[in-house]
Amino acid sequence: MVSEEISAEVIESADQKNCISCNVLIAVDCRFCGSCGAKQYLTEPDKIGNQWLLLKQSALFYAITLIICCASKFFDVFQTFSWLLFFSIALAVNSLAFFLIYWKENKKLLNFINFSIQKASLYGAMAMMGAILVHYSVSWLNLTIFSREENYYYLFKGNFFAELLIVFFTAVMPALFEELGFRGYLLGTLLKVADKEQAIYISAFLFAIIHLSFISLFWLIPFALFIAHVRIRENTLWYGIFFHFFFNLTACLFELL
Amino acid sequence: MENIIPAEAAIEKCDACFTDVVADDVYCTNCGYPLKGSDFEQRSFIANRDVIDIDMNDFNNKIKSARNSLYYLAGVFMFVGVINFFIKKDDPDILAYVLVYVILAALFLALGGYSQKKPLACIVSGLCLYTIVQVLAIIDNPANLVSGIIVKIVIIGYMIKGIKSALELERFKKENNIT
Repeated sequence: MVSEEISAEVIESADQKNCISCNVLIAVDCRFCGSCGAKQYLTEPDKIGNQWLLLKQSALFYAITLIICCASKFFDVFQTFSWLLFFSIALAVNSLAFFLIYWKENKKLLNFINFSIQKASLYGAMAMMGAILVHYSVSWLNLTIFSREENYYYLFKGNFFAELLIVFFTAVMPALFEELGFRGYLLGTLLKVADKEQAIYISAFLFAIIHLSFISLFWLIPFALFIAHVRIRENTLWYGIFFHFFFNLTACLFELL
Repeated sequence: MENIIPAEAAIEKCDACFTDVVADDVYCTNCGYPLKGSDFEQRSFIANRDVIDIDMNDFNNKIKSARNSLYYLAGVFMFVGVINFFIKKDDPDILAYVLVYVILAALFLALGGYSQKKPLACIVSGLCLYTIVQVLAIIDNPANLVSGIIVKIVIIGYMIKGIKSALELERFKKENNIT
């Protein structure tokens, strides 16, 4: 990634390049060599490959996630601890399994080189502010549109140990495994299929609609777009995980306190 | 391009793509047309380009069908939303009920419109959204699995073909060096 950017800069700074076939000097934005007619690829041709297969693989990941999410609708996930545990682990295993398929490429996303605490706390603070904003707009929406308030965790209220578990299952687990699955595996695979922009759009939209709540899309899509951008810009999953964790934690604390 | 070629050198235009070419170029630097080639070479270049155009046209038509499916879905959801609004006008929860249809219609409309620019992203998103809506409808009432199944299969088929064509088009453009 870094080397690509550097080489692109070198070429941009000079206004001539060598033809890839006959080595004659030609203008940098030529698409064909003027003297031998050979194609000068503006984008690397090696990206052309088994994209359809990769897309089907991503569809499998998404379908499994969707089945787990839909199956959880049949059970009182937020009231019965064992079902919550079961579905959380199922989603985690799915994300982890697909993430590990490309472990060699994906492990780069998990390294802590260049990790800065300041940046992480900045993202954390942004996440908390975002969560507060979302919380108030969602409760306003719920009151005006549905004329009711939603409260998932009333069964756990007052029990400190259960509350800790709730924090773990709504803040820690999703932050870690949704990031591995959607920003790790899915976005990584889509980057091989489409350009950067389209890959970000697809992964963000798919992430938003898998929550199965169409009204929440107004904040889920910007949320997912932001994390996908952070993942591309910083080239690590950790900031996204921090952001996601603090966002969910704030939302969770609103429910519990 | 204009910056690089000195004004006095750009004396002629390529016969195939009509961009300015430098007099001593053997091939057009924009499309690869053999400027100084034999009549046969020039004609087979044009013929080859026409074949590429026909292929691209085919891909674009399939993408267009997928786009039309997205517009069609937007229309259907809007229609159902409006009908439901008038049927259940006195229901206190009507807003919540109709809003979902309006949101879905708006999403499909936006995806359809934006698919002019980003066909792959929009058709993939549209297909996933449609699948999720169908799955939720089936969970809500299993009879939805069979109702209108032919239309559903046609829509999904158009979108899958659209996704394939969007991929092929990208690949084709890269292979043939078309921007």
